[in-house]
Amino acid sequence: MKILVIIPCYNEQDTILDTVQALKSYCPEVDCIVINDCSTDRSEEILRQNNIPFLSLPCNLGIGGGVQAGYLYAKEQGYDITIQMDGDGQHDPAYLRQVLQPLLDGQADMVIGSRFLEKKGFQTSFARRMGIRLLSFLIWILTGKQVLDVTSGYRACNKALTHFYANSYAQDYPEPEAIIAAVLNGFTVKEVPVEMKERQGGTSSIRALSSVYYMIKVTIALVVYRLILAGKGGRSA
Amino acid sequence: MTLELQIWMLLGSLVYLGIIFWMLKTKRLSVRFSIVWLFSAFALVLFAAVPYVVYVLRDILDIQMPSNLVFAMTIGFMLLILLSLSAAVTEFADRIKRLTQTIAILEKRVRELENQSHQDNH
Repeated sequence: MKILVIIPCYNEQDTILDTVQALKSYCPEVDCIVINDCSTDRSEEILRQNNIPFLSLPCNLGIGGGVQAGYLYAKEQGYDITIQMDGDGQHDPAYLRQVLQPLLDGQADMVIGSRFLEKKGFQTSFARRMGIRLLSFLIWILTGKQVLDVTSGYRACNKALTHFYANSYAQDYPEPEAIIAAVLNGFTVKEVPVEMKERQGGTSSIRALSSVYYMIKVTIALVVYRLILAGKGGRSA
Repeated sequence: MTLELQIWMLLGSLVYLGIIFWMLKTKRLSVRFSIVWLFSAFALVLFAAVPYVVYVLRDILDIQMPSNLVFAMTIGFMLLILLSLSAAVTEFADRIKRLTQTIAILEKRVRELENQSHQDNH
């Protein structure tokens, strides 16, 4: 069973090394690849010096395009399971096995590590929780599938879904859109509880100031996404 | 419509058409994107040369001023062109994204091969 961990990295010089080392010590059998999305800090230097496998995108694609590069790489290298994990120290590799298990058992095509299932660990700000709840409700209306932590970037996919994402992955608001895409194309999504930490460095791709704007845009994007996928169904991609 | 206005309009729309053809000839504009522009230019030339067409259309659509019809159609063309440009940008963004990802994967392979040959030489 070949397992790849994708770690998107944009200006994470303070945390990327710790993240990769923690991952190596918890799960030495998995491969990892850091996607350096044109960082302007010393990230790439650190990756090079420590012999960490990485892809270096020649121009900044944002989180969606960066993660997709990882899925493309996983597809080309024939990985069976692909896991996505943030490079800012929010996601604890100690939970990797819990996130993996439903895939190994064949219970799901995609597993999302959710911080709200058991409400342990860092629960993020009230405003953000409300926003996530709203998106979660929206996804439930649009797909009939309940997912609590829709913006979690801690997720694992099996081979079929990896190939699907390598071909088409949402670029603008990838986390919630990827869930909708998976559910509407007939993949099963499952959540498992994980604990998340407060980010150790860097900045969120969802900034505080523009969060209202983000919510409006995501809502429209998700509804549009649902409409264009209506009636498609099946694992067609 | 006065004859002077008609002459100026005809002249203007012909210059517009000429610019499009010149851009096509010098490859400043691809044929693919020129179709909607050419169409709008031909329509303008037609309206200027044969204003009767505009009058008939005005009567059919029950618009008070013939000029409003020309304005409305111009705006319609602009919307169409803007939409086609957005579609083109989307397509290009998609291609650039794929290229960027492929380059990154190839760069990793090159880097590893270089490291390997470097080690072999020592």
